[in-house]
Amino acid sequence: MKKIHLVIERDLRSMMQQKSILVMRWFFAIVQIGIFGLAISRIVTVMQNYYTYYAMGVIVMTMYSVAIFTGYEIYDENDDGYTEYLLSIPLTRKELVIGRSLAGGIRSLLFMAPIIAGFMYLIGIADPLRVGMALVALFGFTFGVSGLSITLAVGLRSGDKFDIIMGALDAFIVRLSSALYPQTFMPKPIAILSQFNPLTYASDLFRWSLNFNTQYLANPTTAVIVLVLFLTTFNVCGVLIYERSLEGGTWR
Amino acid sequence: MPEYAPESFLRIGRMFQVAIVKIVGLTKRYGQNLAVDHLNLEAQEKEILGILGPNGAGKSSTLLMLSTIIKPTEGTAEVGGYDIRANPYKVREMIGIAFQEPKLFWFNTPWQILNWHGKVCGIRNPRQATERMLKELNLWEARNKYAHELSGGMKKRVEVGKIMIQRPKVAIVDEPTAQIDVAGKYQIWDMIRSLRDEGSTILLATNELGEADRLSDRVAIVYRGRLRVLDTPRNLKDSIPGGDVIDVRTENPIRDETLHQVKQISGVVELSLVKPSHLRIYLNRAEKMLPRIMSCLNDLAVDIASINMKEPTLDDVFFHYTGEVLEEADEPDSATP
Repeated sequence: MKKIHLVIERDLRSMMQQKSILVMRWFFAIVQIGIFGLAISRIVTVMQNYYTYYAMGVIVMTMYSVAIFTGYEIYDENDDGYTEYLLSIPLTRKELVIGRSLAGGIRSLLFMAPIIAGFMYLIGIADPLRVGMALVALFGFTFGVSGLSITLAVGLRSGDKFDIIMGALDAFIVRLSSALYPQTFMPKPIAILSQFNPLTYASDLFRWSLNFNTQYLANPTTAVIVLVLFLTTFNVCGVLIYERSLEGGTWR
Repeated sequence: MPEYAPESFLRIGRMFQVAIVKIVGLTKRYGQNLAVDHLNLEAQEKEILGILGPNGAGKSSTLLMLSTIIKPTEGTAEVGGYDIRANPYKVREMIGIAFQEPKLFWFNTPWQILNWHGKVCGIRNPRQATERMLKELNLWEARNKYAHELSGGMKKRVEVGKIMIQRPKVAIVDEPTAQIDVAGKYQIWDMIRSLRDEGSTILLATNELGEADRLSDRVAIVYRGRLRVLDTPRNLKDSIPGGDVIDVRTENPIRDETLHQVKQISGVVELSLVKPSHLRIYLNRAEKMLPRIMSCLNDLAVDIASINMKEPTLDDVFFHYTGEVLEEADEPDSATP
């Protein structure tokens, strides 16, 4: 794994060169928090401090959408024939997949860093331990999401299928999670489904780290376990699929 | 090896050379399509081995398997003693490939591409090497342009620049001068030769006969996934019956009667109908035979479009061993650089 930093470097550079997409997502997060969040939090009266809850959820959601971007890049690379180049250079498949997943996590954090910093300032969180825990939670989640997107991009050989699955996942993963509303207010079937959703645990762990009211949150220990399982599973799957599917030449 | 070395000397020299690439029964099947069919081939250390064949002959699939990008269906190969199936990472450490179609991601610049490639391949001073290579390839002015802004020739030069910066033990170059102007071709040929002279083994896949002839120490003719013949360009040309070739192109399809009459001329060794109106005659002492052939064709009222007397080329070799013509495209003038 000695060349993993080079894979990360390449992916970070690629993010910096796709500014328009990133700016659009930034706008989305700012508008959601600054306009929609303010309005909706006035309507929601059954829960104290819903605005903060909502803003934290939007931050995690946006990070999810940046992390998932790695899968789209892999599709672009396949179209350009660039995958063959990546497979020909002296990098192990592990370095390639883990490096790209780590890069997905790092760039999500970098991308959202100004918004996270501004948000923490506004809610008055300055404790380095809490800040550190929150960032680790976000990084762990986006590391796993990047692994998931790599697994899907490589596993699904059709670009159309990938688009459909990602669109569906994007729609359901947010709605069937506690990103925007706590589990206690969900209809029972949705609350049950949300317990199998890593976004639920990432959002709640982030809130817990920033000292949000624990009565609305999942158990932090469970959240840590789920996130570790999530990131491990999909990164291992990504490596296996890269080795078995791509190296076999079946993507061609 | 120097071009002036006698053939017998080269042959003896090769007996003591070590095969750095050994391909044994290599086979690749895509569904029902057999791309590479139990290919056996060896490349010696410090040689340029031209792999000549038309599109679809299995050249690129073979090179992709050697580079561990795709897995063989059957058989295997060794690069520097490492099996491509068992030790793909070790193989990738020894091998570098310049693809037929440049593999450049659109948001990268030539500087970023070569610098990153150098770092991944573990070369010393990648920045310095990148600067030198960009200048050598006349890409310095374009170093900060995105890949999608580069012309086809520039992209190809960046692609070739990857192996030039890497200086791998085994370099694979797949049609390195396609889309490149004549001056650029000579420059890239010189760079490939210098790589060989420094100790690299070059596997040169091409369907350009002139390129294979000028660059290769040995040429392997691959056709329908199989090796047809492997030898030096000189030996391959000498293997053509007769030693001289006359190409006759006619206005109308050539009749069987014409073929029969020409075949009867003493000194004609072999005939091949390349196309219905293109006859290739293999013979001895073509300059003396030409008037008799012309006379025979006139007697048979054949409308001659052109007649061309020449020494055998790799095109003739290819035709001799496969029965098909390898069309030569974008061939620069015959002056040796």
